[in-house]
Amino acid sequence: MKNLYVFGNEYLEYDKFAREIAKQIKNVNIINCRSPDELLEINDNEILILDVVKDIKKTIIINNISQIKTRKLMSLHDFDLGFFLSLMKELGINKKIKIIGIPENGNIKEIADGVKACI
Amino acid sequence: MSKSITLNHITKIEGHAKLELGIENNQVTKCELSSTEGARYFEGIVKGRRYNEAHEMTSRICGICSCAHVIAAITAIESALGYTPTEQTVKLRELMTLGERIRSHATHLYFLALPDYLGYESALAMAKKYKPQLESALFLMKTGNYIIKTLGARDLHPVSATIGGWLKLPKQADLDEIKKQLENVKKDAIKTCKLFFSLKYPSFSTNGEYFSLKDDKKYAVLNGDFCSEKSCFHKDEYLKFIREYHHSNSTANFVVKEDHRYMVGALSRINNNNNKLSKDAKKMLKLSKIKLPSKNPYHNNIAQAIELVHCIDDAINICKNLKMKHEDVDKVKVKAGNGVGAIEVPRGTLWHEYTLDDKGIITHANIITPTAQNLLNIQEDIRQFVPSIINKKKEDMVMDIEKLIRSYDPCFSCSAHFLEVKWV
Repeated sequence: MKNLYVFGNEYLEYDKFAREIAKQIKNVNIINCRSPDELLEINDNEILILDVVKDIKKTIIINNISQIKTRKLMSLHDFDLGFFLSLMKELGINKKIKIIGIPENGNIKEIADGVKACI
Repeated sequence: MSKSITLNHITKIEGHAKLELGIENNQVTKCELSSTEGARYFEGIVKGRRYNEAHEMTSRICGICSCAHVIAAITAIESALGYTPTEQTVKLRELMTLGERIRSHATHLYFLALPDYLGYESALAMAKKYKPQLESALFLMKTGNYIIKTLGARDLHPVSATIGGWLKLPKQADLDEIKKQLENVKKDAIKTCKLFFSLKYPSFSTNGEYFSLKDDKKYAVLNGDFCSEKSCFHKDEYLKFIREYHHSNSTANFVVKEDHRYMVGALSRINNNNNKLSKDAKKMLKLSKIKLPSKNPYHNNIAQAIELVHCIDDAINICKNLKMKHEDVDKVKVKAGNGVGAIEVPRGTLWHEYTLDDKGIITHANIITPTAQNLLNIQEDIRQFVPSIINKKKEDMVMDIEKLIRSYDPCFSCSAHFLEVKWV
């Protein structure tokens, strides 16, 4: 069974949607991540990530880490998934990564179906 | 010559800070460091809540130092209730605190401080050339995270530690695994020391006093008196010696000791407690060639690197010597009282104080973060330091000043917890 690494804060309204969608997905092993460094020692052939992407209307797939807009690391609080994946790439930690990006909100069933089709 | 420098957003520190610096005829005419963070109101939020809620609520002050606030709040509340925790409980609290320090120091040193010294804008830009170094950082951070997650049941805002013990105890096998991971990353801590010893630090000596907890038994973590090279006082008496005040241009809390500035943090701890460092940390200290006591704040980076080795050794010892036994959380008898918790956390000494009524309701709270204590010293260090770099180009001056601020590893989000409101 594939692993699906789900990011987002369950306590923040604008950041918990990926977790809600993940609950609708069957036949994958859901792993809720709290820190991006959990990806460091994963041995999956392809790391499958589910996360919310700002300002999109439909579910998208990101295969190329360069597509992720990286903020400057101003403080330790900016050490987020985007920064971490970019760092992994720069360090040559060449893991195959597929990010399923979902909108910040929307119809749960429709978005979950879209995510299933991407897995 | 006249110069005016305004750093509206000092980068690579926790939170948002602003510095206004005016120079006329080679004299510093204005030097104001302020926080531009919103007010936090945590002391007000916990007022009226039950004694066993303070640690969970105040943990939200900071995602980086959440364990610190949990343990400081628990310590203060237990003190107010006249409760003494078991040795096992204390050791596990120490272990979690050490894990957080390993994570925080590794992150600050490699991702916020190091790019300055190697001439890069960010850690991302230096990743290709300094791959082994950044990998060391990631392994250290991951190990710190692992300790916190194993003990606290979460890697941020831990929930296991509570008044009277631990809601969920780690198994002996968990401690064995932590020990194994710590042993694996010790070489990374030693490499970190050697790397930071090789960097060139500006020559400077602060006029501020250095303070940290000092424990007769060990390198202070959760216990001890608050001491400097000149004086020592018991934590319960802190309000006799420490005064908080606020500037109208800043939401941050400023703190002084008997009306003069002081610094807290890794360098203060090393100055005060170097004879209690682990054997290998002492070796690193010798290798660093810094002369103690050092009053050069730039050496805080060196001190943090040495502390990485010490914290790993201390944590290994705890894992090796602690024989886990089942302990239920003690039912602590509720009564009225006042208690102070002072513990050493990544950026220095953290203070929590609570007053409880006879039903265990919090009627008063006071929290003083390390950065609040360092703020005045940082500002006055800049005033003191600038004349020595006054002939440099403006961008070089800015870099030197930012490096000085960053060497304190400040967290402005945490120090901003007060705003005076005039109700009309």
